Amino acid sequence: MEIKLNNLTKVFQSKKQEETIAVNNLDITIPSGKLIGLLGPSGCGKSTTLYMISGLLKPTAGSIFFGDDDVTTVPPEERGIGLVFQNYALYPHMTVQQNIMFPLENLKVPKEEAIKQAQDIADLVGIGNLMNRKPVQLSGGQQQRVAIARALVKKPRVLLLDEPLSNLDARLRLQTREEIKRIQRETGITTIFVTHDQEEAMSISDEIVLMKEGIAQQKGAPQEVYDVPTNLFVAKFLGTPPINIFDGEIKGGILYVGDADLGKSKLKDQEVVVGIRPEGFKVVEDSSFQAHVEFVETIGRDTTLIIKDPHTDEKRTFRAIVDADEQIKPGDNIKLSVKPHKLFLFDKKTGEVLK
Amino acid sequence: MLEEKHNIKAWFYLAPALVLLIIFTFYPIFNAFFLVILKDFNYLQGTYQGFTLTENFVHVIRNQNFAQAMINTMLITFVSVPVSVVIALLVSVWLNAIVKLRGTFQTIFFLPYVTNAIAIGMAFAFLFNRDYGLINTAMGWIGLNPVNWVGLGATWRHAMFSLLVYVVWGGMAFKIMVFLSGLQSIDKQYYDAARVDSTKRSRIFRKITVPLLSPMIFYITITSFIGAFKAYTEVIGMFGQRLGPAGNDRALITVVALVYDALDRSGVPGALSEAAAASIILFSITLVFTLINMQVSKKRVHY
Amino acid sequence: MSKDIVMYGDEKANRRKVIIRLGIVYALLVAFAVFIIVPFYWMVLTAFKTEIQVFTAPPILWINPINWQFSNFALALERAPFARFMGNTVLVSIISTVGTVITTVFASFAFARLNFVGRDLLFMLLIATMMIPGEMFVITNFLTVVRAGWIQDQTYMDAVLAMTLPFMTSIFYIFFLRQTFKQIPNELYYAAKVDGTKDLQYLWKVMVPIAIPTIITITILNAMGTWNAYIWPRLIAQREEFRLVSNGLRDAFVDDLAGVVQYNEQMAAALLVTLPLLIVFLLLKKYIMRGVSRSGIKG
Repeated sequence: MEIKLNNLTKVFQSKKQEETIAVNNLDITIPSGKLIGLLGPSGCGKSTTLYMISGLLKPTAGSIFFGDDDVTTVPPEERGIGLVFQNYALYPHMTVQQNIMFPLENLKVPKEEAIKQAQDIADLVGIGNLMNRKPVQLSGGQQQRVAIARALVKKPRVLLLDEPLSNLDARLRLQTREEIKRIQRETGITTIFVTHDQEEAMSISDEIVLMKEGIAQQKGAPQEVYDVPTNLFVAKFLGTPPINIFDGEIKGGILYVGDADLGKSKLKDQEVVVGIRPEGFKVVEDSSFQAHVEFVETIGRDTTLIIKDPHTDEKRTFRAIVDADEQIKPGDNIKLSVKPHKLFLFDKKTGEVLK
Repeated sequence: MLEEKHNIKAWFYLAPALVLLIIFTFYPIFNAFFLVILKDFNYLQGTYQGFTLTENFVHVIRNQNFAQAMINTMLITFVSVPVSVVIALLVSVWLNAIVKLRGTFQTIFFLPYVTNAIAIGMAFAFLFNRDYGLINTAMGWIGLNPVNWVGLGATWRHAMFSLLVYVVWGGMAFKIMVFLSGLQSIDKQYYDAARVDSTKRSRIFRKITVPLLSPMIFYITITSFIGAFKAYTEVIGMFGQRLGPAGNDRALITVVALVYDALDRSGVPGALSEAAAASIILFSITLVFTLINMQVSKKRVHY
Repeated sequence: MSKDIVMYGDEKANRRKVIIRLGIVYALLVAFAVFIIVPFYWMVLTAFKTEIQVFTAPPILWINPINWQFSNFALALERAPFARFMGNTVLVSIISTVGTVITTVFASFAFARLNFVGRDLLFMLLIATMMIPGEMFVITNFLTVVRAGWIQDQTYMDAVLAMTLPFMTSIFYIFFLRQTFKQIPNELYYAAKVDGTKDLQYLWKVMVPIAIPTIITITILNAMGTWNAYIWPRLIAQREEFRLVSNGLRDAFVDDLAGVVQYNEQMAAALLVTLPLLIVFLLLKKYIMRGVSRSGIKG
């Protein structure tokens, strides 16, 4: 089921008549059968968007299409969606089986049939042996699966997940996100999930939509968005450790950060914001980009250098990830070069990427 | 443990409450069981004629009003508690469904809690007056004949009905408050989840609201049962020390009234023991029903 | 496609359904509010009726405020010293409430904060006692009061003592306040200990201020309890002028053998007794309602 959001807008009005635009003219198409991550910092409107798709929130303007159906004014119970809440919202007084069967009973599915379907879906998400437990007797990850099973059991047209992993500990999170990916692949249901964790979104989404202040910033396959950010916000939001930002200047077709020469540029002379991914540095014999290494963190195959930035601000540091084979000690003075495809230039005022 | 024990200090802090409790609560409990085994105890002289296990209970049970008191108490309990719990549950669900005027309604519904039981009981008695009361007038509007609810020679049936209306009226405020705060503590996500899953309203109420509220319902039911077994001031408020309509004295006597009737005759030898026996009977009833309630709730309450 | 129009129709039907449902809910709430208010209205209305109006059938349902019969209140006050009853009640409530709060605060502190031998056992014992009906205590307490000499040749002092002392502590309030005290993080206590704060100081300077909403709730509920007390004051007060409002009111209006009372005077007196409580309630609504719903206290 393809989902189309046309100029979707949500304005919240406070008691004092102050208006907050939570979602601003959102115009995106979500392809059928894919797993889409709605990503952004808290307050960016991603959950509001999800709840508008679910029907629990009414849009102020714009429309929502499921395939050819305009569902904008259709109440949630008639939209045929499955929704997994951040806290799972499992009914505490019901067993796993009763929780999963609840939506089927609403649809008047005969009992035998409902039990069978509940069992099938529970097996699919890997909790088929826990049917008689109550939610309190389950771990966070198991509760999560029950919630997903409950959302899937009625064969929804669309599956919506609100921060599905935020209540799990780090290890479970890794495991569960693979699981979500698998379940989505097996069922082929168009799935939208909301998260503020870029790593989570990047790792399992077919596409991500990055939002900020109610406006979609960029949409695309995760790696593509990472490699070709459209603006400074996107570049800063994606990647750990985050991208390094410098004040730079283009003078006579050459890009400078402070007095370091970072190569040629076809852009006209101007001040720019320079973003360099930590993995975009190379230690070289000779370069005008000199740096003083303050700390060295070696974790596995990577070494992160924490480097004093001698070119713009003495007090600031930045990070460079280099091969662990490099023998660098704190206090060393090194020279760096930059991989061109890991370097981005942004307009100083608008933050738009400059090409 | 992080802390060592502070025995002396603790007892020092406990002392004021504990001394009062020992004198006015613990000792009286034991003494009630002591009084009840005394024969013809005369408190003025402190004399008694030996011991008995059953005699004082027999006195209470043989009391011409005992059967009536039991019937009345049970009736008040088993009618007023379920009725007021159900109505309070509905009203609190309605209250929870609205936004505007909720505070105003809440305040109004709370009023019975903060009124003097005697004063409002008198108002109820006059509401139910045959000739000059509002109830019969209102019944007249819809073509019903006036009924002698509480006046001279009123039947037990009518007087009891009037009393029950008053008891239900008076018991609602507290229950509504507790239910409403219970409802408000239920996570809204359960309702969103149920909505997404196309759950009908009646089903949401039965399958989600009531089970999630069941600890409160259980708590309210137990305390209301205990409270209703002790019904007495409501009767006094509406009917005075006569405990019934004029010409039908003691028609609405309750078990608690047996205790105070006996206590009013405290000068008569054996009366205090009789009062103790009646109070122990009351206690036993309370205990039995609380235990039954707890058994039932084990299956029904979801914590 | 015509689908849009259908959807629009559904939306309209939905909105209509929501409005109708809300309308029904409001109607039911109003009906219930009427049920709650009617007895109060009847009390007020009757209190302002003349004797002739009281005994008019069918009853008069509305009286213009100009014609309100204020003399009923004067007559009621003549019939029994209600001002005196109220004064007694206020005095008794103040004494018993102050006593209750003090004993409760100390005992709750011990249960919530101090570690001592037998704490849990004692606490269980107290909780178990809450189930026992008060009628069981009344008998012996009456004997105790008689033995203390507070009944025979009763002085005002005797009556006040007898009406307050047995009610100067409450297991329920200890339980309630202990819950509040327990929510105060232990770290505060350890921090205070490190700074050399004495327990009593800590209780007074930290715990009591934090628990003040609960203490206010206890104060109000206890005072309200005294205002409503009927049984014990009736047993104790040996002279009319020692009565409290509830039994004063009841005994001032005993109907004749035909079951007839001076209803307008009776309702005027009832209104006098009810009014202070209602005023206190409306002033302290927040504390009372919050306290009651949070604790589930039965007064």
